[in-house]
Amino acid sequence: MKNKINLYLIEYAINAILRQKAKSFFIVFVFTLLTFLLTSVFFITSSLKYELDATVDSLPQIIVQKIKAGRHYDIDEDVVDTLLGIEGVEDAVARVWGYYYFANAGVNFSVVGLNEYEKQYKNSFEKIVKKIELEKDDKSFMVVGRGVQKVMNKSYYKEYFNFIKPDGTLKKVNLGGVFDADTELESNDVIVMSKDSAREIFDMDEDKATDVVLKVANPKEVRTIVSKIKSIYPDTRIITSDDLKVSYQNIFDYKSGIFLALFIVSLFTFFIIIYDKSSGLSSEEKREIGILKAIGWRVDDVLKEKFYESFIISFFAYTLGVGLAFVFVYMFQAPLLQNIFVGYSQLKTDFELPFVFDFQTLFLVFFLSVPIYIGATIIPSWKVATLEADEVIR
Amino acid sequence: MIELKNITKIYEINKSDKVIALDDINLRIKEGELVVLKGASGSGKSTILSLIAALSKPTSGEVIVDTKKISKLPDNFASVYRRDNIGFIFQKYNLIPTLSVKENIILPLVPLNPDASDIQNKLDIVTNRFNISHKENAIVRNLSGGEQQRVAIARANINDPKIIIADEPTANLDEKLSLHFIEILRELKVLNKTIVVATHDPLFFGLDFVDREIEVHNGKIVV
Amino acid sequence: MILTPEVLAILILDVIFAFFGVIAFILSIKIFFGWNLESVSQGQYKLEKQSFLTATIIKYIFVIKVPLFLFFIFTLDKISHVLTGAMCAAGVVDATPYGTYLFILKIINLYLFAYWLVLHNEDIKHENQPYTKLKFGIFIIAFFFFIAELVVEWVMFASINVDKMVSCCGTLYSSSADSAISSIFSIDTPILLSLFYGNFFFIVVFYFLKRKYLFAISNLLFIVISIISLIVFFGTYIYELPTHHCPFCFLQSDYYYVGYLIYTLLFIGTFYGIVTGFVKESEKNITKNYKISMMFNFFYVILLSLYPIVFYIKNGVWL
Repeated sequence: MKNKINLYLIEYAINAILRQKAKSFFIVFVFTLLTFLLTSVFFITSSLKYELDATVDSLPQIIVQKIKAGRHYDIDEDVVDTLLGIEGVEDAVARVWGYYYFANAGVNFSVVGLNEYEKQYKNSFEKIVKKIELEKDDKSFMVVGRGVQKVMNKSYYKEYFNFIKPDGTLKKVNLGGVFDADTELESNDVIVMSKDSAREIFDMDEDKATDVVLKVANPKEVRTIVSKIKSIYPDTRIITSDDLKVSYQNIFDYKSGIFLALFIVSLFTFFIIIYDKSSGLSSEEKREIGILKAIGWRVDDVLKEKFYESFIISFFAYTLGVGLAFVFVYMFQAPLLQNIFVGYSQLKTDFELPFVFDFQTLFLVFFLSVPIYIGATIIPSWKVATLEADEVIR
Repeated sequence: MIELKNITKIYEINKSDKVIALDDINLRIKEGELVVLKGASGSGKSTILSLIAALSKPTSGEVIVDTKKISKLPDNFASVYRRDNIGFIFQKYNLIPTLSVKENIILPLVPLNPDASDIQNKLDIVTNRFNISHKENAIVRNLSGGEQQRVAIARANINDPKIIIADEPTANLDEKLSLHFIEILRELKVLNKTIVVATHDPLFFGLDFVDREIEVHNGKIVV
Repeated sequence: MILTPEVLAILILDVIFAFFGVIAFILSIKIFFGWNLESVSQGQYKLEKQSFLTATIIKYIFVIKVPLFLFFIFTLDKISHVLTGAMCAAGVVDATPYGTYLFILKIINLYLFAYWLVLHNEDIKHENQPYTKLKFGIFIIAFFFFIAELVVEWVMFASINVDKMVSCCGTLYSSSADSAISSIFSIDTPILLSLFYGNFFFIVVFYFLKRKYLFAISNLLFIVISIISLIVFFGTYIYELPTHHCPFCFLQSDYYYVGYLIYTLLFIGTFYGIVTGFVKESEKNITKNYKISMMFNFFYVILLSLYPIVFYIKNGVWL
């Protein structure tokens, strides 16, 4: 038995595919579309995960929040001193931050307050504090992300912005600079100002903060430290960076899971259509098989040829779908589709999906498409291959 | 060389509907003979051909070709037997119009995945013999009726089979092409092939190079 | 319940396999009880046609199963990042009581399906198809293992609890643990090694004596003994760490993916060994099977033995 690949059979299979232009085109089209959508979704999630992992790594290891009546509440700043006393805690900083809703544009800004005399919990903040004075000559300054700047410009705020305080009065904060953070994802909607200004805007007391972030000397001790904090302050909620990572991964998996569920439905519909179309054999096709058998093709040969046909079509469509997804996601930045995952907000759409090459995604899409298509053709191909030749060639 | 022994073939359309295509027939064809089976449509002559080609199995009886019992061969073996021993000429040529002459002729050999030189050799032999070597790469649908006929016959001969089977070969042809076909049959006879032709075309009757004419009527051979 | 896209893909394919598997099973039963090559009835012709379908289905399942198995291992690896405590695929396997059984079933099924295909190929070479009933009978039995694998796979993935802490290979593969695997660690190393090399020695002997059945049986035993030896002894020399017994970690890039080579050599070597005894092929093929089996097994043993030897040469001591 010759084991080298039968080029003649492949050629014949390709010819057979081309002989049924309409049907082949339809299958390739639908198949490509499905793989395209699926691969795009996976590419997007991989990229976002990558971005987020990078982001999460720059986030604090432990965040301590005060919980009152099941809700997040301002925490006392002096908690910081107690926490610093715990073994293993390298650093503790009280954060003042929150979301400011800008009604005109219908977007939320993330407002972060920094105290220049404190050690910052993020390198990018360190840089800002060094570069710009957030309070100078009785004026307040802020540094904003690019997305924020765009939105403000649209509402004709170019040099400053008027925040509306909870009591209805205005607070004017001047634009001191634009963020150049390491990852756009985190900085796009961020405004950095002095802690005092932030407190003003949110009407927070001087000795209160939004939460406290901790830096831990040995990351493996995070869990132990968390339990220690909980025993000292039972009314707190503690979030670690691992928790964040897992929850992001879960959100992505959840969202891509929903998408996948929809995909499965369409896949099974496709399966049924394929089955239907292949079973309804034209008399033309039946005659052709009858001729092949009459001139000496065995059932196994016909089956092989049919398999080559299915494989060629599905693999071709798979490759095409993946290629198109590649172009769509990484060159055109996946318009529309991206929004499902990033959240439809004007501020968040402006960053570049990093190129993440994941073999597993390619295999995943392959397993979800090619074997299913070939499976759908097994029974129809078999029916054709086992036709009684003599009845067909009369 | 070909022997049908007590052959009965019954087609079961469904549980209650049966058609007796052949009723206990006996037939012997010697090597190198050219036999014409004549009879109306449905008389059973096409069934005899399928049995000889191992395209169908008899309900009872034996088909023996060259001392080998071929009636109950499993499908894969039957196909191999057919490929190696039978050249089939169909009613409507049954060529694939969008493929070239060469691709059509080598079709029986495709599953074997032979060497390119081997294929070319066999191809050259038949294209030269049947005069279409100059059109090897032409697309079949662009050929004339006569040329297509020769391609069909070349395909039937690519594996140098011992037996040629033709089922109503001239049914769709005009007189000129029919006569042309008969000439080719004469050539094949010269090559000492065993030829069985099923036809009700009167052009075949009374030909000088036909060894026997056998009449088939209602599933029985008329003596 | 863990529901990443990869897991979903595997589960979907399982459903499809089950669908086709059941068809093949029903047809196998019909063929097993009704096959009569001599018969000229419509029924027999139908069975002949259906035997093609069954063979096609089994080929299809096998061809996808092999890469899917690799994909399965990758998926376990990926899941391990979400499970607390799991550091590689081993942790995921042991997150539920079903993991080890699933693995064993998967390997058994790979052997069973491959064996069926070899038997089938031999069967159709003969005009009288002598092994038809046998092969379909074997499939009827194999079907139960096959369905068991699919069911266990579904159950396993369904019961993985993301919040439950999982032990990793350090604690699992040690004699102090009480999982099913740990019992193998109670065997003394010298005894284990003599079993391993002894078994290989018998394989060589039976190869030269050309005793098919003994050869095949010793290959069958070899599967079990070599995997145990790999986990208990040789693995530690690959990792150069006396406590690292994980059978999965050396599939990763850190160890140059040597795991794939090791398992492939073992599978092919033992598979062809089993085939020599349990599939009646032509003389030429049997000789070929003997050779392939011997060669692959030989390379497997050499490869494994090299690790401790090289370690000793480099460091002057054993672990």
